[in-house]
Amino acid sequence: MKNQMTDTTSGPGTVVGVNVALSGTLKDQNDIVVYGMVDGEVISEKSVTVGQTAQVKGPVHGQSITISGTIRGAIDASEKLEILETGKVYGSITTKDLVIHSGAVLVGKVIMGAEEELPAEEVATEEKPENSETESVEAAKEETTLAPDEE
Amino acid sequence: MYYYILEAPSARSVRQNYQKLRDILTQLGIAGEVVSASPARTSTELAEMGIGKGYSTIVAVGGDHHVNEVATAVIGRAVLGIIPVNASPLVTDIVGATDIRDAAEALKFRRLSLQSTVLVEPETIIFLDSVIQTSRLAKISLILDNRVRAHAYFNRLTINRFLELRLESLHVTERRKVLGMFNVGGQPIRSESYFHARNVRIVTDPSLPLTVADLPIAQSPIQLRLMPDSLKVITKRGTVLE
Repeated sequence: MKNQMTDTTSGPGTVVGVNVALSGTLKDQNDIVVYGMVDGEVISEKSVTVGQTAQVKGPVHGQSITISGTIRGAIDASEKLEILETGKVYGSITTKDLVIHSGAVLVGKVIMGAEEELPAEEVATEEKPENSETESVEAAKEETTLAPDEE
Repeated sequence: MYYYILEAPSARSVRQNYQKLRDILTQLGIAGEVVSASPARTSTELAEMGIGKGYSTIVAVGGDHHVNEVATAVIGRAVLGIIPVNASPLVTDIVGATDIRDAAEALKFRRLSLQSTVLVEPETIIFLDSVIQTSRLAKISLILDNRVRAHAYFNRLTINRFLELRLESLHVTERRKVLGMFNVGGQPIRSESYFHARNVRIVTDPSLPLTVADLPIAQSPIQLRLMPDSLKVITKRGTVLE
């Protein structure tokens, strides 16, 4: 990424208004809400909301991410990701909990799951030394490609 | 001993308040040297004189712009006392006192708190909310921490002492006729953005004044730097010991 914003203050969070075009890495310990255009990475330790008028070109990281605008880039939501009916995502998704509303567009890989969600027998095999690593990783990751031709 | 700087009185009621204040200060036993700002002797010059005379506490008596000017002069060199007269709720919130007597009593107990400020380079301070405002939409560029760039059209930018920026704009989409009959457009679009950083550069087109209580303190382009806990202020609920 070309720019980076170091965030040493907790602050009240960041809101990028509908008529604002921003470039660089937007990083905040609190919530980030985007209604305008962001060309760069968006990183929050809490929630990220991408409004209907928003266009984000770059990766998005957050605990909980809600999308009703457009994102072109990878999304990593450590807790939950919700794509609302007007939301458009062109990029891979990594999350534990995914909600996609009817009408939303998703073009990219979806990687879901965590170790604690593995079936009991697979957790048991994980303890065996031979070929355990490969199997557990494959079991934990459910890779799905949706609508690959849409973009 | 305190050095009191009165804002130049704008009305008779303010003069009456000043007389009342002198009586309260005498009653509380915290009377000191009292000087009055005027076009010939600005608040900043008087504060410099007070510090030169060896006063360690300079008290600003007046409204927002006056308090901000005195704060600019005393930062890092003396303690700021505040007696709000015709000041905004922000000032009374900081002091924790709602009237003259309350504020004077706070001065007597001399509890200090450390307040953050913003340096407008080269030497102006934002202690109270500052505003860049224009009735017509103007271009603005913000560079946050020398790394993030934001571009927008705006009507109003508010900056507080924590270097939190609130950027507002309101514009109406152009009205046009469809098939020569129906008017479409004319919808108001409101935009609000909030940013915070430690260093901010602000460029506007055209160049616009940065004001406190409608009085200019700087002119864009400006470079701002957050100075955490940089100003010692006497407040009602202060916690810092000298």
